[in-house]
Amino acid sequence: MNKITINHTLPRVFAGRTDISSDTWLREVVLERGHIYLIEAASGTGKSSLCSYLIGFRDDYEGQILFDDRDIRTLNQMAWTAIRQRSLSYMFQELRLFPELTAWENVQVKNQLTGHKSAAEIEAWFERLGIADRRTTRLSRMSFGQQQRVAFMRSLCQPFDFILADEPVSHLDKENSAIMGELLLDEAHRQGAGIIVTSIGHHMDLPYETTFRL
Amino acid sequence: MNLIWKLLRRHISAGQLAGFFLANMLGMLTVLLSVQFYEDILPAFGGEDSFIKNTYIILSKQIAAGSSLRGEAQTFTDADIADIAGQRFARSVGRFTASQYQVYASLSMGGSQMGTSMFFESVPDDFVDVEWPPLREGEVPIILPRSYLALYNFGFAQSQSLPKLSEGVVSMIQLDLRLRGEGGAERQLKGRVVGFSTRLNTVLVPASFMQTSNEELAPSAEPQPTRVIIDVNNPADDAIATFVQEHGYELEDNSLEAGRTTYFLKIVAGIVMAVGLLISVLSFYILMLSIFLLVQKNSDKLQNLLLIGYSPARVSLPYQLLTISLNVLVLLLAIALLLWVRHLYLERLWQIFPAMSEGPLTPSLLVGFGIFIVVSFFNIIAIRRKINCLTRA
Repeated sequence: MNKITINHTLPRVFAGRTDISSDTWLREVVLERGHIYLIEAASGTGKSSLCSYLIGFRDDYEGQILFDDRDIRTLNQMAWTAIRQRSLSYMFQELRLFPELTAWENVQVKNQLTGHKSAAEIEAWFERLGIADRRTTRLSRMSFGQQQRVAFMRSLCQPFDFILADEPVSHLDKENSAIMGELLLDEAHRQGAGIIVTSIGHHMDLPYETTFRL
Repeated sequence: MNLIWKLLRRHISAGQLAGFFLANMLGMLTVLLSVQFYEDILPAFGGEDSFIKNTYIILSKQIAAGSSLRGEAQTFTDADIADIAGQRFARSVGRFTASQYQVYASLSMGGSQMGTSMFFESVPDDFVDVEWPPLREGEVPIILPRSYLALYNFGFAQSQSLPKLSEGVVSMIQLDLRLRGEGGAERQLKGRVVGFSTRLNTVLVPASFMQTSNEELAPSAEPQPTRVIIDVNNPADDAIATFVQEHGYELEDNSLEAGRTTYFLKIVAGIVMAVGLLISVLSFYILMLSIFLLVQKNSDKLQNLLLIGYSPARVSLPYQLLTISLNVLVLLLAIALLLWVRHLYLERLWQIFPAMSEGPLTPSLLVGFGIFIVVSFFNIIAIRRKINCLTRA
């Protein structure tokens, strides 16, 4: 997948509203592979909705969203599974981790599916992100900030053309946020992938090329 | 897979699955037993007699207290037979031909010699459903009534401390036969029992043998049939009973009774099978409800797995394997129980019908396997559909 086109799209719940002033909704936005984008949003402007549309979890919108030239409404379940495994990685704002598994197992759930990273590589991430000692800790016993780092590692355990990180550092300090940023850039560069980060204020420090306001 | 199972086994209710297991097992066992019982018991009622077709009845003339003293003939005349053959219900009529010479049969068993005077009869080969084995020089194939064997096993052998005999063993025994006819003509032969008839109450030999032996040993005697066998369109036809009564004949055969018993058995087996199937269907619903509840309780986890790239097929697999394992277990246990119960009832039945041969197991096994396939198939489809519902918010 080389580009994502958001073509005059609007969440249905906003239909009929006249006060929409957005760089994204009801406009044509093209996100290209290899570039870094920031989507800034205030609460209630539809950030979560946009992410749900892009990952194929919801389709309650007007207009069109295209992956390359294909309308994503026409994708079937098999195509979505393939996209989620190989083309579009998504770090959820609500993390969507499994509290009954350990930190390590939560990353492995994804890596077992894709076989993308070696155990050594994942161990190195744990070290760099400062939670090496929490590897065997059940996720439910970890702080949200620590969980965010686990979710981040999980999102890197797959090949991708785009990585969509929904408020990835909302609960992280500057130092960890910077380490995460480095790892993200590193992975994206290696694959020539695009990075899309959303934020409602406290955003990851990356060399953004374009910023959209929702 | 292990991690997925670790996630998805949460909320599995052992109680619900045990409930399904018992219900499904009960349903399966009921169906299998009804099929097996039907297969085992039906031949005992002569529904499918191995030698005589279903639609044959046998007529004889009534032996009244005075008739033999008055010298009235107990035999069927040509006119009688023509009359019977002309009846609506009769397709064809065959005469019983009796041997016109003396027969003495003996055999030695366990060092003791047993012998008896007896007789032979024959009916046209068309009325016997099996092929007689080819005649061998010096040997006569014989079909005995099953009741003779029972009489021997339960009446005679028991009181004389002789071994009980199965049909197979009897078939291996050779009888020494001595036929004595007019003017001292005599023939020595070997006799071999080639089968047993539930229906035909006589010592049966092939028609061709009867003809040649009568001609040879009693050339001057004219055999008069005392019984006739009739191939009828419908043994339950009222016209038969009326005709028999009007002419003072006797219906020797119990085919009408057997027909009714068979019919009754079929109905009972059918009802039991239907009840079993109903239980199976209900147990299927229990399982489906249980699995749906499980999917519902784990829906967050399932949805998360789908969103990080697991396919619905992969996510459905643990639950599908779970239900199929349960179904396999149910099938195997039901078959084991079936064999056990069958063993119990066959033992009882053999006491009543010693000559009874057990029916084949294949039909009930096929039915069990069929139910397993159908139930598993719908389980797989239902789970997959339920999971597919989770792919969208």
